[in-house]
Amino acid sequence: MSHIHIPDGVLPTWLWVLGWALALLVVTTAGRIAERADIRRRVPLVAVVSALMIVAMSSEIVPLAYHVNLTVIGGVLLGPVLAIIAAFIVEIILAMLGHGGVTVLGLNTIVIAIEMVLGQALFAAFIRLFGKRKVAVAAFIATVLTLACTTSLVVGIVALSGPAGASRETGALDPGTLKFANPFAEDVFRLGLFSGGEGHGSGSPKPAPGAGKPALSVGRFAAVVYTLGPIGWALEGLLTAWVLGYVSRVRPELLWPKGRRRSRRQGDDAREASADAEAEPAGGDRS
Amino acid sequence: MMDVGAIDRSATSGTGPLREASPTVKLAALALILAATLINWNVLVLAGVFALLLAAMAWGQLRAPLALGLAAYPALFAVIFAFASAPDLTTAAAIVAKAVTAALAAVLVVLSTPYPQIFAHVQRIVPGIVGDALLMTYRSAFILLEKFSSLLVATRLRSGDPGRSIVRTMKMAASALGGLLLYSMDLAQRDYDIMRVRGYEGRLRIVPNKTRNRLADVVLLVAGAAMLATSVVFRLGSATLNPYSWIVPLPGVALLALAAATGRRRA
Repeated sequence: MSHIHIPDGVLPTWLWVLGWALALLVVTTAGRIAERADIRRRVPLVAVVSALMIVAMSSEIVPLAYHVNLTVIGGVLLGPVLAIIAAFIVEIILAMLGHGGVTVLGLNTIVIAIEMVLGQALFAAFIRLFGKRKVAVAAFIATVLTLACTTSLVVGIVALSGPAGASRETGALDPGTLKFANPFAEDVFRLGLFSGGEGHGSGSPKPAPGAGKPALSVGRFAAVVYTLGPIGWALEGLLTAWVLGYVSRVRPELLWPKGRRRSRRQGDDAREASADAEAEPAGGDRS
Repeated sequence: MMDVGAIDRSATSGTGPLREASPTVKLAALALILAATLINWNVLVLAGVFALLLAAMAWGQLRAPLALGLAAYPALFAVIFAFASAPDLTTAAAIVAKAVTAALAAVLVVLSTPYPQIFAHVQRIVPGIVGDALLMTYRSAFILLEKFSSLLVATRLRSGDPGRSIVRTMKMAASALGGLLLYSMDLAQRDYDIMRVRGYEGRLRIVPNKTRNRLADVVLLVAGAAMLATSVVFRLGSATLNPYSWIVPLPGVALLALAAATGRRRA
């Protein structure tokens, strides 16, 4: 449940503005922390992992009409700080491609960032619990738990907008009373199209305040999400387990931070030495 | 799978007033249209905005199947959301209309503007690492999508057509994604080496393009402002104006017919 698949204009303004503000604050802080280290190393790493997630999210598993997210894998590869940046980047690109709303981009970033950070933390915890030989089991449980948590977060966000918020948003501002009235209370289809507007206006009785206001049903939304969600969690969990299990067999240094740090440092030293060796004659030629 | 190559070809090559307009103006028009979509819940007003966007697509000589295909994607999720939460059919239709209209507006910008020009504006407000990674992500996505396609073909050739078997499809996808993950780590390393050699010091600079068609800029801004104004007026005066909502889609439909006829004559 990486994205809130809720269209633009459904959530109340205060909620998505708050989401944007929070996301910008978190991303800016993460960016400042990340820039303290070797930025040249981090930019391509964040870019390819974000691109990997975009590829996964834009590829459908055909018989199921389900797309994977790879958020837990992204979190494991990047760590918490870079994961927040990757979440923001993925959401911007997906929003520009029509996959996810522009106004809910901030909330989406928060949800996906939490998914990546929590997934990484749970995976690390389960590896400590089960040992490095049980990568697939740890990955599966971590993914399912993470997705269950973020799905609940999404339901919580919709609940925050609440029936009151939703009905206010679906209404129209009455400039006389500064209250919101429901534009559908007088039935746009029946009066506007099929009856030509007869009987509409001063003669028609006004509906009671609040009567007939359309409110989003949080309970029904939660019921649908919690019914369909576990299928997605299981699929994502299986895929994450298979992929991380495969990586742990062929390239374990990508998963274990100590090994990764050591091998990177060694790789960097070797590369820097070779780059210096190459640069010297070139500099000599120029001079 | 999303055809990012086709999206980029549309943004960087071809002609038409939308491609010639200033990227800044296009983003401003997008903001106006999004505001129009956010404010109103009248399905016919939303249909009016959508019709005007279709006219802009035809006027801008953008590929309709590509634009509509991308814009239709969020409709799938909007239908689920609407089914799960909307209290009645009209509200459900409005939810789906909002999703598709907002998505079409964003897609028209993406299909007519090279991605560095869009991200140049994001770069101004985010830390350097975020802006630079954003630019490199888009580029990497092309490479990885192509690689993923060939990995999927290779996996299918090795293990055969999975048919309708979910487990076999999942295993194939996992195998291809595992290979892709290893490839992407190597790609990150290669990018890092290239950036070192080129002397990257923590900022990729993008110079924003200037407009090549001032008239297109004016048309876009006026159209965006008109959509927002219509949306605001129909919301504020909904009690009086709702019966006349059917008028709103008419200008869009007329402009769409005109743009389509002009396009056919040009072809």
